[in-house]
Amino acid sequence: MAYTFDWSAIWKGLPYLLEGAGLTTVISAVAMFLALVLGMVLALLSQVPGGLVPGLVRAYVEVFRNTPLLIQIFIVFFGLPELGLKLSPFLSGLSALVLYTAAYNTEIFRAGLQAVPTGQHEAARSTGLSGLQTMRYIIIPQAVRISFPALGNNLVSLVKNSSLVSIIGMVELMFVANDISFNNFRSFEIYGTAAVLYVILVLTLTRALTLTERRLLRAQ
Amino acid sequence: MNWTVVVENLPYLLRGTVSTLAISAAVIVLGTAAGVMSGLLRFVPWGWLATAVAWGVEFIRAVPLLLQIFFIFFGLPAIGLEIPTFPAAVLAISLWMMANTAEVVRGGIQSIPRGQFEAARSTGLSGLQTMRYVIFPQAVRRMLPPFVGLCTILIKDTSLAAIIGVFELTRAAQETIERTFRSFEIYLVAAAIYFVICFPLTQFARRGETRLQHP
Repeated sequence: MAYTFDWSAIWKGLPYLLEGAGLTTVISAVAMFLALVLGMVLALLSQVPGGLVPGLVRAYVEVFRNTPLLIQIFIVFFGLPELGLKLSPFLSGLSALVLYTAAYNTEIFRAGLQAVPTGQHEAARSTGLSGLQTMRYIIIPQAVRISFPALGNNLVSLVKNSSLVSIIGMVELMFVANDISFNNFRSFEIYGTAAVLYVILVLTLTRALTLTERRLLRAQ
Repeated sequence: MNWTVVVENLPYLLRGTVSTLAISAAVIVLGTAAGVMSGLLRFVPWGWLATAVAWGVEFIRAVPLLLQIFFIFFGLPAIGLEIPTFPAAVLAISLWMMANTAEVVRGGIQSIPRGQFEAARSTGLSGLQTMRYVIFPQAVRRMLPPFVGLCTILIKDTSLAAIIGVFELTRAAQETIERTFRSFEIYLVAAAIYFVICFPLTQFARRGETRLQHP
């Protein structure tokens, strides 16, 4: 094979790729934070009595979990302007990522809330805590601890899924990799480097999550 | 909103759907076969091989599928390995499926109590026979729900093949929109078609999980 691997292409591209990796980290962190809040609210709403609200939450979860993220991004970015709602690539990408991830988070929190034994509700109420206080101080902290490993997996998926927003022009690691390799035609080296950066990002994150999980277990 | 556009273009979208299903089927066959093998390779007595497979699986799982597709379609031609769009997409998604199936297989096998291995070996079965007749049949039942979950993610992720120009449901939707400029309606219908395919599978996976938790 006559191909010569060009290290200088990597050296020249690396600062930009690292910047892209930084943006991927920031986007994932912001999206995860919002998706955690939304997921928790929706999971709590799925516990209210009556069929309507939990039914709506369930419908949201199933719709967003059973359709491709790419299509969701396209609907937000290309479809909504048709209805008069025009969002920037950044806001489109972010909202699609948040809505998609929140659907999975809702399901995880819901399972977590249901996994807390009913005796905990009864015991808390019998100590004189109100329904709201019981949720706030007794049930939710336990549910969060139960949900932690699954939420961690979700965060890892989110880091990888965030690569899709490059397609509508949101700048992050994948976007930078495309940008460089379409200009210098060193796609093998540049995509290879981007892959290594994703691996470093994901493995660091996985490691950090495992350590946190262990600490949570010890605190129990 | 304009629904006649949808009705007129539905046959074209359905042709895309057939292609989506064909890609998914190809990936499920190739990816699962390779995945089960690499999952089992984690348990061979040769440590270096098990470690090498483990690292390969970790690496592929940590890289976004979109990047894998771009690497295979744009990166490999740079070193002289030209692959057309359809096989490139099937290859990239199969690699993804292989790595994730390997994890499911590993998890399933490790969930079988050690005593089962020891009991089977002490009855005189070889290591291979123990895996074949005792461990694997039990583990398969536990692997099924996460495996079906993987298949739904895979079907959704075949939409990424559209980006390198493979004709499937998402590409069919894009082409329809280029003709009609009705992105909201068309993407909504495409989403609905994906939903119809994936929803039964997620329900199956969900029921399987509950049943395993409360046998």
